[in-house]
Amino acid sequence: MISPAAAYRNLLLFVLPALAVYLVFAVLPLATSIVMSFFQTNGASGDIFVGLANYERLFTHPTISARFWNALLNNMQYFAIHLIVEVPMGLLLAALLTSGKLARSEGIYRTLLFIPATLSVVIVGFVWRLIINPLWGLVGFPLLGTESTALTTISLMSVWQYFGIPMVFLYSALLAVPNELVEAANIDGAGGWTTFWKIKFPLIAPQFGLIAILTYIWTFNGFDLVFALNGSAPGPNYSTDILGTYFYRTFFGSSGQLADLDLGAAVATIIFLTVLLVTAAYFWLIQRRLKSYSV
Amino acid sequence: MRSIRVSIPLAATLGVMFSGSVGAAFADPVTITLNSWRTEDIAVWQDTILPAFEAKHPDIKVEFAPINTNEYNAAVQSQIEGGAGGDLITCRPFDVNREWIKRGYFESLEGLPGLANFDKTSRAAWSGADDKTYCLPVAAVLAGFYYNADIFKELGLKVPTTSAEFIDVLQAIKKDGRYTPLAYGSAESWQLAYNGLYSIGPAYWKGEEGRLGLIDGKKKLTDPEFVDAIAAFGAWKPFLPAGQESLNYADMTQLFTLGKAAILPDGSWDINQATSTGLNVGVFGPPVPKAGDQRYLQEMPDMGIGINAKSAHKDAAKTFLDWVAGPEFQELYVNAAPGFFAMSSKPVTYKNKLAQDFADLKKGAQLTPRLALDRLSAGTPPLDDETWRLLQVMFTKSDVTPQQVATELQAGLASWYGPQKK
Repeated sequence: MISPAAAYRNLLLFVLPALAVYLVFAVLPLATSIVMSFFQTNGASGDIFVGLANYERLFTHPTISARFWNALLNNMQYFAIHLIVEVPMGLLLAALLTSGKLARSEGIYRTLLFIPATLSVVIVGFVWRLIINPLWGLVGFPLLGTESTALTTISLMSVWQYFGIPMVFLYSALLAVPNELVEAANIDGAGGWTTFWKIKFPLIAPQFGLIAILTYIWTFNGFDLVFALNGSAPGPNYSTDILGTYFYRTFFGSSGQLADLDLGAAVATIIFLTVLLVTAAYFWLIQRRLKSYSV
Repeated sequence: MRSIRVSIPLAATLGVMFSGSVGAAFADPVTITLNSWRTEDIAVWQDTILPAFEAKHPDIKVEFAPINTNEYNAAVQSQIEGGAGGDLITCRPFDVNREWIKRGYFESLEGLPGLANFDKTSRAAWSGADDKTYCLPVAAVLAGFYYNADIFKELGLKVPTTSAEFIDVLQAIKKDGRYTPLAYGSAESWQLAYNGLYSIGPAYWKGEEGRLGLIDGKKKLTDPEFVDAIAAFGAWKPFLPAGQESLNYADMTQLFTLGKAAILPDGSWDINQATSTGLNVGVFGPPVPKAGDQRYLQEMPDMGIGINAKSAHKDAAKTFLDWVAGPEFQELYVNAAPGFFAMSSKPVTYKNKLAQDFADLKKGAQLTPRLALDRLSAGTPPLDDETWRLLQVMFTKSDVTPQQVATELQAGLASWYGPQKK
């Protein structure tokens, strides 16, 4: 018989390796980056504590703040398109896959639909850029070169790539819905539509909420596709600039802009807080109240 | 950051111990190291350039020590500030280097005989606030217009020399209808500035006169010569391919190399690409506003080499730089890396015919670097960045005038750049 104290000691021993890696490679860099945002590190006299000066610059300098708000608004649009198109599309396809209408080809469809999510963003960006290229492609209109359509175009490319993720996620949730409930509903005379919305959807609502908030986190940390397509100063006229590219440009500099590590750290902290606060609020206010039915 | 600083004294100590022991064992030859960001040049230096130097100076051994391009600036800074670093440092042009000079990284090169081979404009990118030169100019890139000589022959066109002739040529190609006049698109905004405005603009703002005028605050971007230059560049718009708003740099080069477009406004670094499909390609310089006007050409300094102020072998480093200043090195380097051009006023022969044609454009032309990279982009918003953005806006929207572009550029610059405030 192991004493409780020894059990805890063993537990700690087992957790320690993973905890150490997590602390050193995730928590520590995050903390140093937050600390850095309160310093001026590139001066001749070493690191100087400057309080909120970097944040003040971020929110009051006419150019820097204008670009920041522009990137934030663009990012909201980028998220909204994912939420409105990608998540419902994932739900629809998951519902179709589990409806039994596809019979034996279900596995083939599931695989085919998931393939884009396994591709590299660089490939996705390259292929789509060729498909919609006005010179060699299918669309004569310069979708990526027009301010009003560029961001939506990039968002939809990303949706095309990643709709497989919510699909698989919701697919597995739907598989877990007990058949007895569906059969009982059928016996009570419910059609496919009613069964889905009255029986299946309420049962997978927590997962649906989770994938929505994950989409939020992914899009607000988004960077790669925009960078692959438009570089670190994404045009035209910064219309496709999102927080990730804004941060990259500030922290690492671009060919037209000098790197500013401290301001970059401030931007990173703001992005972190944006993601953290909304996610926390979601879990406190919504996810807790979603009833999980147990059967 | 901190960990790097801590490790430097250690590295420096080891380095001193190492070189000390080597020095004790062999009094001769002296070994000097050269830091560079051109990792791709390692074979060129080791197999061609350094053996040629060492054959002449058996008492000096040079070691080429490249650092990854993206880490170069940060690495050099932390090395030198820790008292280490190579004896010879490859210098970035303009603002980065000006900061390095200010921090005392380099030994002044004044008095080096080879420096006489370079004029003031060539040295400007590596001069300090005291007007002394700290790095020896090694290579520059040029900008101009590649043209498909067969299309020109087929349509009976002559290479244009004035802005009016240039537009006439574009008009004639457009009227014929078989070829796109200009292989040019605005998806990548940098090349609107570097291969467009900064290439044809100097003829309007008189090269250095306009550029230095902006730096001194004597001229404004809203002055007529700058607005005219932006307007002359905007006049290209009707001659670009359909959907140019979405075409990137690779698309435009491809359009030209496939023989579907007559003229490609581009930089000298693209020589190998532009001729990769075996087309009969020629090159011409930016047109002048009126016949008989002075010709201008964009020559962008790319790299120089300076001496580390803390080097223990300054005499050997000076001997090496004096050789770098001479025609032997210049010819070896530019022929090993086509697209790069010697900045020396001594004639240099290029084995690549198109490169020689490009170099010939320098004859009789006044040279000037890119407009906004010297001092004017060291604040927020950087003038260079704003130029990219606003030229792209002008090329992707129909209702933006050159005057508006100039006004917004000036407002951005005047918001932070001292000599332009007022």
